[in-house]
Amino acid sequence: MLTLEGVQVNFGGVQALKSASFSVAEGESIGLVGPNGAGKTTLFNVISGVVRPTAGRLDFRGTSLLKLPEWKRARLGIGRSFQIPRPFGHCTVRENLLVAQRFGAGKKDLRRIDEILDILNLRDKADRDATSELALTEHKALEVGKALATEPSLLLLDEVLAGLETSSKRAFMERLAAVRDRYRLAMVIIEHDIATIAALCPRVLVLNFGQIIADGSPGAVFRDPDVIRSYTGETTLAEAS
Amino acid sequence: MSNPSMNRLLLIAVLAVAYVGVPLLFGGNAYVLGLIVAALTIAGVAVAWALLGNLGGMVSFGHAAFFGVGSYTSAVLAMKLGVPVFAAMLLGGVGAAVSSIAMLPALRLRGPYFALAILAYAHIFQILTTEMTPVTGGAGGLLSIPRFPKILGFDFGEKLGGYLIVLTVVVLAALAYDAIRRSTWGLALKAMHDTEVATRVVGVPSTHLKAAMLVLSAFITGVVGAFNAHFISFLDPDYAFSSGWTVLPIAAAIFGGYRTVWGPVVGALAIYLVDQLLFKPILPHGHQMILGVLLCAMILLSPGGLMPALRRRPVKEGRHAHA
Repeated sequence: MLTLEGVQVNFGGVQALKSASFSVAEGESIGLVGPNGAGKTTLFNVISGVVRPTAGRLDFRGTSLLKLPEWKRARLGIGRSFQIPRPFGHCTVRENLLVAQRFGAGKKDLRRIDEILDILNLRDKADRDATSELALTEHKALEVGKALATEPSLLLLDEVLAGLETSSKRAFMERLAAVRDRYRLAMVIIEHDIATIAALCPRVLVLNFGQIIADGSPGAVFRDPDVIRSYTGETTLAEAS
Repeated sequence: MSNPSMNRLLLIAVLAVAYVGVPLLFGGNAYVLGLIVAALTIAGVAVAWALLGNLGGMVSFGHAAFFGVGSYTSAVLAMKLGVPVFAAMLLGGVGAAVSSIAMLPALRLRGPYFALAILAYAHIFQILTTEMTPVTGGAGGLLSIPRFPKILGFDFGEKLGGYLIVLTVVVLAALAYDAIRRSTWGLALKAMHDTEVATRVVGVPSTHLKAAMLVLSAFITGVVGAFNAHFISFLDPDYAFSSGWTVLPIAAAIFGGYRTVWGPVVGALAIYLVDQLLFKPILPHGHQMILGVLLCAMILLSPGGLMPALRRRPVKEGRHAHA
């Protein structure tokens, strides 16, 4: 479904992504982990079109994404959330979803909007102002909801569980699993909580210093010495000494 | 009765007064009718300016360019090619819309940079008009521009005819503005204000939408400019591209409430008519100073403008696109 080959991103002198290569199959759930600054969000920005790569190949269902703007990628079926929720200003929760559906999916299907509101537990907040009248969990749910309203086949979720309490996190995880199963989506999830990743994703990618250093099952990846070093900082210490 | 029904009834009542009451009351008073036409001309540009500012999120200091291009396009088409005046007026709008395409690169800019870029474009168009002497008459301008024709015995070239034309243009512009505001396009435009990138990743072609608002705003302004050219029957570059065609509509829109659909119309009527009928007789020189003080007071006391103040529902800071 999605293939990245040798994707590089340079911000001036800083190489945010060195050479990222991986693919995502239809319906697959992948956890993307790595220390802060590893390049995870940059990778999402590249796939969704927010950032243009310096080099590399990026295909989605046989179409090169390199020259497509963000909105065309959304219409192709790539949905994403932002780490810091970005609700649409001065719109209600339902209007947020309507905008996403009308432009991303090219239709107006109020039944589907209600379905998304139900599955994300937002129905009773549907007519609230999305910027000022939602709690953090609801903001996060709305981020997922906007992406879902575009009827994606690939969903990129950037730390949607970050900052949530343990009980909220568990409930949110269950909702994400329900969303994935209900809409048969492929998902790539950036998340720091290893238990969450292991529960949701049979495959994990580890990114460090802009490179993928491990790719496999959660069990295998989290025992990988390179992965452990990337998290404990030994690599950095060794380089420093 | 629900609010939308009340609003519809109120609108019908106001339109009835505008189309029937005003001609009956002031049809024989050319001076007052002339002032109302001038106020509505400003109102038309103010609606177009507010549409771009409120829906497109862009503050323009260059609407005089669209006004000037629209007026010259229409005048030249009618004078040199014999195009019927009403058709030329619409083509004046098309000319202004086409000229706005040259400004599309400025859509990449934000805030004051966009405003200044549009101002620069306005100067370019004024210079071009002045230099294209064979077509535009240069600095000397155009005289004896064809007036609006008689139709079924009613002379649209007279003050009352002009009033009905400009009133219709303003009403149609405001209704178009309202229709867009209520559509999913309007929702998307409103959503774009704070977080454009977040709208793009859900499929909103934000630059296209902003471009559409710029072109539409230019079209409306161009039609109003064209109307004015045929109404006064004279044009020169300094007049047609005068900064007054930018400043007065902005003041009117802010005074009336640029985040409401009818605020710019109410604002234009209020500031122009009050200024001309009330302040000017008291203070023939410098009467605009009183207007300036009034505008400052409005901004301080009711930042949302006159319309929200009349409804006793002040617009919260940062709110957009509420009628």
